[in-house]
Amino acid sequence: MSLVQSMRLDVSQKDKLPVRLFDRLRKPIRKATFAIISLGTVLLLWHLSVGTLFNPVLVASPAATFSKMAHMLESGELARHVAVSLQRVLIGYVVGCAIGIVAGTLIGRSAIISELTDPLLELVRPISPVAVVPLAMLWFGIGETSKYAIIIYSTAIIVILNTAAGVSQTPATRVQAAQCLGANRRQLFLRVILPSAVPQILTGMRVALGFAFMGIVAAELIGAREGLGFLIMNSQMLMQTDQLFVGLLTLGIVGLVIDRIFRIVLARSMRRYMTSGSLL
Amino acid sequence: MTTLTKEDSIRHHAWAKLRIQGVSKTFASLDGGAYRALGEVDIDITRGDFYCLLGPSGCGKSTILNLVAGFDKPTSGVLLIEGAEVPKWASVISGPSTDRTMVFQDVSAALFPWLNVEENVLFGPKLAGHTAAECRDKLTYYLSMVGLTDHARKFPFELSGGMKQRVQIARALIMEPEILLMDEPFAALDAITKRGLQRELVRIWEETGTTILYVTHDITEALLLATRTAVMTRGPGAGIRKEVAVSLARPRDPNSAEFGAAARALETLLEEENSVAGSIDAA
Repeated sequence: MSLVQSMRLDVSQKDKLPVRLFDRLRKPIRKATFAIISLGTVLLLWHLSVGTLFNPVLVASPAATFSKMAHMLESGELARHVAVSLQRVLIGYVVGCAIGIVAGTLIGRSAIISELTDPLLELVRPISPVAVVPLAMLWFGIGETSKYAIIIYSTAIIVILNTAAGVSQTPATRVQAAQCLGANRRQLFLRVILPSAVPQILTGMRVALGFAFMGIVAAELIGAREGLGFLIMNSQMLMQTDQLFVGLLTLGIVGLVIDRIFRIVLARSMRRYMTSGSLL
Repeated sequence: MTTLTKEDSIRHHAWAKLRIQGVSKTFASLDGGAYRALGEVDIDITRGDFYCLLGPSGCGKSTILNLVAGFDKPTSGVLLIEGAEVPKWASVISGPSTDRTMVFQDVSAALFPWLNVEENVLFGPKLAGHTAAECRDKLTYYLSMVGLTDHARKFPFELSGGMKQRVQIARALIMEPEILLMDEPFAALDAITKRGLQRELVRIWEETGTTILYVTHDITEALLLATRTAVMTRGPGAGIRKEVAVSLARPRDPNSAEFGAAARALETLLEEENSVAGSIDAA
C-alpha cells in the first residue's frame, strides 16, 4: 500500500518538473529546426545562383524579392491583393463545401444516384479549374460570379467524393446498434451516419482548401483588376519578376496560414469526431 | 400449427418470452444460387432464461440472433416476443426494436466514438425524447452496475476493450429490453478480462432478471453463464442438435468435477457434430 502511494507521489511530482515542458516542446523545436535548415538552404542556393547560373531579369534575387515585398506591404498594395483573393477563395470554398456535402450525402445514401453520377464525376475529375475558365466566362461574364464559380468547381468535387465515401461507409454494426436503440430513419441519418462520416468529410474539406488556392490563379485569369492571381499574371506581362516572385511567395504563405488556422479550429471544435486518427 | 401473418399488430398468446417457431433462413449466394444457412429451428426461451447458443463458427448462431433482433427476416417460420404491457401476449418480430437490444462483438464499430460513455449509454433514451436530466437516476444505476461510474466522461478510444464492452452492456440495459441479445461479446478479450466480465454478467443477470440470448463458441463460457444451452448442428441447414439444461450451482467453478463432466458431455456432442460434418465432406 505504502509502495503504491509513494509511486503515485513520484508520478505526480514528475508531472511538475520542467522536463515535462521540454518534452512537450521537443517535437515542435525539432520541426522548426528542420524547417529553418531546409528553407535556409534554398534561400542560400537561390541567392548564389542568381547572377551566376540564372539571368536576374528572369529570376529575381532574394534581396530584390524581399525588398519589393516590403515595399508592397508598406504601400498596402499587397494586403489589398491578399484581401481580394482571400474573399474569393473563402466565399467560393464555403459554397463549394456546402454543395459538396449535400450532393455527396445524396450520392452516398442512394445507390441509384451514386451509379448515375459516378461516371459523370469520373469524367469531370481530370478537368482542371483552368480548363473551365472559358466556360465560366461565357456563362457568368467577367464579374465576381465567374470567379466564385471556378473556386466552387475546384472545391466541390473533392468534397462530394469524400462525403459520399464517408456516408456510405458507416459500419453496419453501428447502424444495427442504433436501430436496436430505437433510431428511426431520420435519427439514423442525423445521429449515426452523418457523424460517422465527419472525419472523411473534414479530410475532403482540407484537401479542397488547397484546391481552392490552386483555383484562384485560374479564377483571376478572367477580367481581374486585383488579387494575387492577377498580380502574378500582370507581373509576367510587365516583366517584373521580383513582383511575380512576391505574388507566388505570398500565395504560398497565405495558403499555409489558412490551412493551419483550419487545422487548429477543427482540432478544437471537431475533436470528438477525430478520435480514430486522421490527418488533422 | 396455426398460420401466423407477419404483422406486428397481431398479438398471440405467449407460450414463452421468446418463441422461435419453424424458422429457416436462406441467403442468396454470390454465384446466384441460394445458401440455406438455417434449417427449421424451434426454440422457446422462458422469462428470465440465460440461453446460450453454442456451436462452431459458421453454424448459423448469429443468423438466429439477427433474426431475433429483426435485422433480417426469416425465409419461413415466425418469431414471437412477449410484450411488457400485456404479459402472456406476444407480437410477431418484424424489425429492430428497443425491446430487443443487442451487445455486439465488434465493440469499436458498435459504440459511437464521438460520444463519451455517458452519452453512449443515453443514446437510446434520448432518441425516445428523454432529456439527460430525466434519465439521471437510471444512468447512475446502470453505470454503477457495469462499474463505469468513474469513467462516465471518457471517450471510447480512452477505454480498454473490456471497458468498452461494459459501455455496450449498460447502453443495452438502460432500454430495459424484454430480451438482451449478446453476440460473442467477450470473444475478442483476453482470458482474465473475459472471466471477470462473465462473472459480472451473471451478477447483472441475477440483479435485473433480464432474459438473455447469448451466442458463443466457447463451451466453458456456455457452462459458466447459461441456464440452458443449445448445441447447434453445422450448416448448411443448421439447426439445434440438442438442448441441455445447465443445473450447476452458482457461483460456478470451472475447476469442479461437475463442471468438468458437463464440459466433456458438451464437447462430445460438438465432436460428434464435427465428425458427422466431416463424413459428409468426405462423401
